[in-house]
Amino acid sequence: MKPNLLLFFLLLPPALAGLAAAALRRPRWILSAACAIILAAGAADFYAAWLVLSRGPLFAANGWLFLDELSAYNLAVMALIFMLSSLYAWIYFGAEMLAGRFSLRQARLFSGLWCGAFSAMSLVLVSNNLGIMWVGIEATTLMTAFLICIHSSRGALEAMWKYILMCSVGVAFAFIGTLLAVASARGLHLPAQEAMLWTNLNFNAAGLDPMLIKAAFIFLLVGYGTKAGLAPMHNWLPDAHSQAPAPVSAIFSGFMLNTALYCLMRYIPIVEKATGHAGWSLELLTIFGLFSILVAGAFIIFQRDLKRFLAYSSVEHLGIISLGLGLGGAGVFAALFHLLNHSLCKTLAFFSAGRLGQIYGGHEMDRMRGSLRDAPVWGLGMFGAILALIGVAPFALFMSEFLIVKAAVDARAFLPLVLFLLGAGVVFVGALSHALPLAWGQPVPVSDKERPAAETEEKDETPPPASPVFARPAYHEILLVAALLLVLLVLGLWMPEFLRSALVRASGIIRQNEAWTGGPLP
Amino acid sequence: MSNWLDTIMVLLALTNLVLLGSSRLAVLIRMAALQGLLLGTLPFLTGGELIVHQWLLAIAALVLKGAVFPWLLSRARKNAEVRREIEPFVSYMVSLAGGLAALIFSLWLASRLPCPANLGSTLVVPLALFTFLTGLFLIISRKNALTQVLGYLAMENGIYAFGLAIAVEAPVLVELGVLLDVFVAVFLMGIVIFHISREFEHIDTGRLSSLKG
Repeated sequence: MKPNLLLFFLLLPPALAGLAAAALRRPRWILSAACAIILAAGAADFYAAWLVLSRGPLFAANGWLFLDELSAYNLAVMALIFMLSSLYAWIYFGAEMLAGRFSLRQARLFSGLWCGAFSAMSLVLVSNNLGIMWVGIEATTLMTAFLICIHSSRGALEAMWKYILMCSVGVAFAFIGTLLAVASARGLHLPAQEAMLWTNLNFNAAGLDPMLIKAAFIFLLVGYGTKAGLAPMHNWLPDAHSQAPAPVSAIFSGFMLNTALYCLMRYIPIVEKATGHAGWSLELLTIFGLFSILVAGAFIIFQRDLKRFLAYSSVEHLGIISLGLGLGGAGVFAALFHLLNHSLCKTLAFFSAGRLGQIYGGHEMDRMRGSLRDAPVWGLGMFGAILALIGVAPFALFMSEFLIVKAAVDARAFLPLVLFLLGAGVVFVGALSHALPLAWGQPVPVSDKERPAAETEEKDETPPPASPVFARPAYHEILLVAALLLVLLVLGLWMPEFLRSALVRASGIIRQNEAWTGGPLP
Repeated sequence: MSNWLDTIMVLLALTNLVLLGSSRLAVLIRMAALQGLLLGTLPFLTGGELIVHQWLLAIAALVLKGAVFPWLLSRARKNAEVRREIEPFVSYMVSLAGGLAALIFSLWLASRLPCPANLGSTLVVPLALFTFLTGLFLIISRKNALTQVLGYLAMENGIYAFGLAIAVEAPVLVELGVLLDVFVAVFLMGIVIFHISREFEHIDTGRLSSLKG
């Protein structure tokens, strides 16, 4: 097969296969089929990423589809997260099936939308046309909206409504931004079919209208920032993440937010070149990033629901990634590294939260006290993931955050540095105060009277079981948790050469021609 | 041609003001349909040569926004048995005043942005922005889920006009994708409203507030 044709194969087949799988007759078959589809498609993604990193960018469809180092890196992360989440979905929904909470209809919905979401995110990553990229982002919203509602409940409906409305409205802003960006290239007289291509805009960026491209970036930042969960446009995020089933939350946090951030990464070099490398777009990213970190820190302290807490942690980490991008120089390298670490760690966290939630029959942290004792495997996964998330050495997230701090010092950005450390400190304390009782605390019986009025008013279709149900964890569960924790540890201590070279080349695309002020690349 | 365009733009502004000032959902839906029809005629008035697929696309947009969406939304309205907007966060008089402020802001912004006036009329860009802002205002200030969907439609209408005004040469495939996305989005929102009205027996998003913090 010609490598260029590979790009087409990444797009439609997963979605179609997902629909075909929905025609099967048993929930278990459908689940296994969806899992197999994603594993196969993920393998194809890895192959494509490897091709790009070893031989250079791929183009197809008259340049409308392309894969360079930046998108290849993101594609590989996406494939990894999707493969892990599919395996986990097999475990998670398998347990629901035993409890009689996963019907054929739900399995069909899941398989169709899950594989469709995979295709939509791939579309964002492989499209060179900025308009199509937008279409892909909106498609991810539409594909994932009903995944929140697989278990229909009042809370899930409310979360789904907020999600679909806020993200659609936010992303509408991004479309205006896209149009403005295309309009800024008017002076270049590009042919109609090529005016929206990223490669063209990037190549000719110096000739763009600086005023229009600045306006465009503001709209894009608000639009894609909403989807990426940057504060203050993050309101949909905690609701959607907490109400969705755990595998879906893992995909939301693990990669869907990054997809939107990826779109912003594409615009950074264009805007910087068009505005004469003044660092204008970088400053905006820094401000939004810092604000997200601080807002998330403030909210994390008061969370009582485990999945909401993890959702706010996502706001924080997406903020850290944009901060890294905003610092420029070595910060971009660190941001891309942090993106991988956060995705891995957050999937592990949501995996554990989901299983613990099934065991204890709810996601309130009070209910799950002493989880390390009761359910050692997932309890350990949860505790380890929280430690990694708050940046405890020697986990990988500590390394990438350390690199960001270093980049801030190199760039002499001391105010952002102080604010970042302040935010990270608040998160550290807040999260640790949740994590310790979660691991070792004595169980507190949660009676319905103690719960806030709003929650008691909400009547779930299936009342949580009175006492936790402990089951022996299967070997594949132990393997999943151990593998993820091990990878997070190893990445913190040693970076493999292929990863370093991928990161250097991917970050090179974002900071193209940037006046290099910092030290040598890490 | 310019006369026609100007007329359409003024009518568009009026539909926006009605959207802001009316509380009856049937009226709001009709106004959104009218907007769709007005904007649907734009591609034919630009004076440029249209190729076959552009014709088809323009007609598809016209039918979707002028007929299909209103029909979907009226069905959802009858299903949910609502006639009027619930007491909004912002009163109708204030909404209208806000609308006028948005109009002035749009005129100012359009004069600042060096957008080339592709179409024969300089009113297109500011009124596209005005329509966009009207939609945004409806989404923020109203509680009824259906009104919020109408606001989303108005935003999309604004973007459509904006796109026609500044980037006429957007490839057909992109426009097709955008149209498809908007269609699916409105369709899904309709389904969600159906589920919400069945589950909660109201579609007042102000009362959808069990998830907090």
